[in-house]
Amino acid sequence: MEKVCVLGAGSTPYGKLGESLVEMIVGASAGAIEDAGIEPREIGAAYISNVFGIADKQVHLGPVIMSRLGIPERPSLSIESACGSGSVSFREAYANVAAGFYDAVLVTGAEKVTHTGTAWTTTYFAYCSDFFYEGSAGASFPGLFASMARAYMSEYGATEEDFARVAVKNHDNGMLNPKAHLRKKITVDDVLSSAVVASPLKLYDCCPFSDGASSAIVCSERFAKEHGGKYVEVIGSGRGGSPAALQDRKHMTTIDSTRIASEAAYRMAGISPSDVDFAEVHDCFTIAEVVNGEDLGFFEKGKGVEAAREGKTARGGEIPLNPSGGLKSKGHPIGATGVGQVAEAYEQLTGAAGERAVKGAEVGLTHNFGATGASCAVHIFRGA
Amino acid sequence: MATREDFSRAAESGKVLAARCPKCSALHLAMTRFCPACGSRGLVAEEVEGRGTVATYTIITVAPEGFEGHTPYAWVVMAIDGTPLRVSGFMAGVASPADLPVGTRVRVAGHDERGVLIERS
Repeated sequence: MEKVCVLGAGSTPYGKLGESLVEMIVGASAGAIEDAGIEPREIGAAYISNVFGIADKQVHLGPVIMSRLGIPERPSLSIESACGSGSVSFREAYANVAAGFYDAVLVTGAEKVTHTGTAWTTTYFAYCSDFFYEGSAGASFPGLFASMARAYMSEYGATEEDFARVAVKNHDNGMLNPKAHLRKKITVDDVLSSAVVASPLKLYDCCPFSDGASSAIVCSERFAKEHGGKYVEVIGSGRGGSPAALQDRKHMTTIDSTRIASEAAYRMAGISPSDVDFAEVHDCFTIAEVVNGEDLGFFEKGKGVEAAREGKTARGGEIPLNPSGGLKSKGHPIGATGVGQVAEAYEQLTGAAGERAVKGAEVGLTHNFGATGASCAVHIFRGA
Repeated sequence: MATREDFSRAAESGKVLAARCPKCSALHLAMTRFCPACGSRGLVAEEVEGRGTVATYTIITVAPEGFEGHTPYAWVVMAIDGTPLRVSGFMAGVASPADLPVGTRVRVAGHDERGVLIERS
């Protein structure tokens, strides 16, 4: 297998954006191409992650994007894996370069939904659940994670205040990210007094619906060296799955797909969780970050809230989680999120993260899942 | 193999439609085609009494399409007595967590456009 690297990245801001889905993707892709210092014709193929193209009247995104980039003859693949689409797309890019099919590829993810309104998004996002058992019986996505939160509270004695601390920390981080959707400092009281969406989760326990696009150039180590730009090496890549419906899981506060994907990634990288300097994790809801910290092996089961309380997950803590602000503050354009995490890891490990830099970081991990963790991909990066 | 309609019909009469593995005897929900425990095929339909306890739940105040008129309501995951199975469904008339402690006795009470209906027993 070829050694695989990320040679450049680009992102639109995340938030309520005026551009079309296609314009956002082209903008972020052009940013990544510039950042990598390559020509579009050096891109062998593209992997494009998106869930609700239909909301902006464009599916079959690949050929449209390749045409706008001036390389219509290059192959492309559109990938849908709910909120985990971006990391799954990155994995396909990684695998194809590792296998030697291409020297360099474009991975790009995007979502455009804010113009549709909360009712549309709540309804359509619920289609990502095991719909017969969950969505069709009235479960929204906040409701599914709220059910995990209640199970966690019941099992480990955690409180709503414990979850609120995760939101406060991620908003603190997002304040330093110029591309974040919600750049607003909040307090534990703000979270606790915000409107209930699905008990026990309140508005500030939930990430926003965002528009946005993120892109990266993935290439062989030889290609990266020839081009001379800053690059990071992908040292681990893992994927996993969990039963689609919460009811079928052995343990409702453990996401098996995260454990399986991260164990595979750690094994490939030859490292253990304690070797990771920071992680971008899938905090679609505050409870998710708590569970993820445990399933990724950073904390024992049931200790995730204690870690948040003690500041272990803050920037400057033992294992900073979501220095970008995470889905909670940076935003969650669902098809883009997993690629945006890669862009953050690239910036952190190439000295481009500015004020939000995790000091001395050499190894970063990205974790992104679809739905309630039914599908997951984990990647580990090392600065070159 | 059982269909969604078979599962819904069983719920209408208060039952959970399950499927038992002929080889390892593991019990799963009806629409499972191959046994997740041992990989065997030919799972045999088996009705189970829809009685059990609340494993976890949420109270929805921001509802998806079709449920706007029902808020607040609970979406409940119930553990079925004497089996490793859990089943999820809709429960009307729950406004506060104090109304429904985890562990509350519940039963499958039907199936309609709101999915499996769960009630206190």
